[in-house]
Amino acid sequence: MLKINFLKSAYLREVSQKVDERIVLLEKRYQDVQDPWGLNINTLKKSLKTLYPLYDKYFRVQNFGLENIPKTPFIVVANHSGQIPIDGVLLIMSFLMKTPEPIVLRGMGERFLFKLPFLGKLATESGTILGDRKNCRYLLSKGESILVFPEGVQGISKDTKDFYKLQDFTFGFYRLAIEQKVPILPVSIVGAEEFYPLVKQNKKLAKLFGFPSFPMTPLFPLAGLLGAIPLPSPVDIHINKPVYIDETLNADAPNHKLEPYVKEIKNIIEKKIHESLPKRRKMFDF
Amino acid sequence: MSVSTKKEKILIIGIGGGLARITCKLLYKINPNIEIVGIDSRPVDHTIEIPNLKTYRIQYRRGEFENLFRTHQFTKVLFLSRVTHSSISSNLIKKRLNLSLMGTQTILELCLKHNIERLVILSTFHVYGALNDNPVFVYEDAPLRASLAHPEIRDVVEMDQKCQSWMYEFKDQINTVILRPTNIIGPSLQNGITTYLTHPLSFYPLDFNPMIQFIHEYDMAKVLVRSLEDIPLGLYNISANEYLPLKEAVKKINPHAYPLPIFPLEKINQVLNKTFIGVPNYLMDYLKFPCLLANRKFLKIVGPDFFHFNTRESLETLGIRRFHALSL
Repeated sequence: MLKINFLKSAYLREVSQKVDERIVLLEKRYQDVQDPWGLNINTLKKSLKTLYPLYDKYFRVQNFGLENIPKTPFIVVANHSGQIPIDGVLLIMSFLMKTPEPIVLRGMGERFLFKLPFLGKLATESGTILGDRKNCRYLLSKGESILVFPEGVQGISKDTKDFYKLQDFTFGFYRLAIEQKVPILPVSIVGAEEFYPLVKQNKKLAKLFGFPSFPMTPLFPLAGLLGAIPLPSPVDIHINKPVYIDETLNADAPNHKLEPYVKEIKNIIEKKIHESLPKRRKMFDF
Repeated sequence: MSVSTKKEKILIIGIGGGLARITCKLLYKINPNIEIVGIDSRPVDHTIEIPNLKTYRIQYRRGEFENLFRTHQFTKVLFLSRVTHSSISSNLIKKRLNLSLMGTQTILELCLKHNIERLVILSTFHVYGALNDNPVFVYEDAPLRASLAHPEIRDVVEMDQKCQSWMYEFKDQINTVILRPTNIIGPSLQNGITTYLTHPLSFYPLDFNPMIQFIHEYDMAKVLVRSLEDIPLGLYNISANEYLPLKEAVKKINPHAYPLPIFPLEKINQVLNKTFIGVPNYLMDYLKFPCLLANRKFLKIVGPDFFHFNTRESLETLGIRRFHALSL
């Protein structure tokens, strides 16, 4: 009974209506375009309706700097944290639900994701693509915007002692921005590290199972899948001002020439994280 | 394609298939003076109503091919035949690999020896492989990775590579065109994808939904005819401009198709393969992962409006075939 009441609650009806409104706008954009990666607006709608209550009430996502989002295609570069890529999902949802016009931010998935039954399909139909340079190039040339975590697996799979320490950025995103002449939108995400506050990476188990990482928490893997449920840490997404690329730069320049520019992006993200950390909301303060 | 009166003699290797029949008719339509010799190791349909067409059922042996080339003065060769693949036993794979490669080598050598003007080879997009990390569009220069996961298909990959290196080595003597078409579908074909789509018990994967491309048999025949005419030497991906999710394609033909998870089906198929009734294992990958072809190179030569059927129309023709199959 409780379940039925919850499902019929005014809040869920409101969510459903909100998602429908956003999807109508997206359908207008994609009506004549078949996405070669398999983006399916219907699946996206279902995913949004399921996940939005978690986004809104469980992780209580707050967005700052939405006015900084450019109107032309761009590359979102963000810090990666939280052991499983929930931060990416929340960020994509912000761009779908909170911007003046919904934007399908195309996330990059690891190769192994697309091998997984059901999960790979869900990711593809919700707009995630294989993190391949050719794919990114093609997407940007078609006017889409992409999401890059230049820290990669090193960023998301940190031990507790390294929380909020940004790992080295790869250079690919910057080369792509130069090549495609698109701005970079640095985004700082605060709160995702605390999804699993006590973590120790087990490299041996990761190697054994062929996973990119194997985080061990006080509850995982001991309590099975229940132990993998993230804590309700409130998430703040700070969208910094876009960085426009110097057109004189060469996409094939050696790393040492591009290093200052990549560092600049990293510094913008890092600075905002450290500014926001003291203002972080309490975990169980609903 | 304009009508020609040039005296030409074409050898079609693999005349027994539906695609060869359509190609013959098209060739005759554009050049009524054409002479066609068709050979196949399979039973040949003698009902193709084309004057000047001679068909033979022969064993693919060096001696047979030599006789054929000595008897007829061919100007062009259309190589449609591929030794089919299975994964029944490693001995058989070895034998087939040898046959396939040696057979191809023989044909290539004979084409060169008998001053063939133009050779068109039909390869397949299966050489790229359906892999979880395929880029969205696979170009002609992409590595051929099909045999990484499925060694049983390496004869097809090696044959393609052999033809490619041969094409460039003898580029001054013979005009060779290698075609790698995507899924060819049509009511006259009996290939894997057509059978899958028109099967009375058709299903779509529940756990995967890759994007898929098709080319209609008539359009493919047009590509072959055009390749025999004036396509410059080279390697070309052949596909229509559209793509759609596999589930949508299956549902267009059979709205009542049911979903099945691929993972257990794969395991069942592996067992069935040992009893001669399964589908080649590598084909199951095409129900899981995409392999979309970039067709820019070919369309640049023939123009964007070359293909007659779009994907929806191609699938509709299959729907009609399925309807007939059910009503019989």
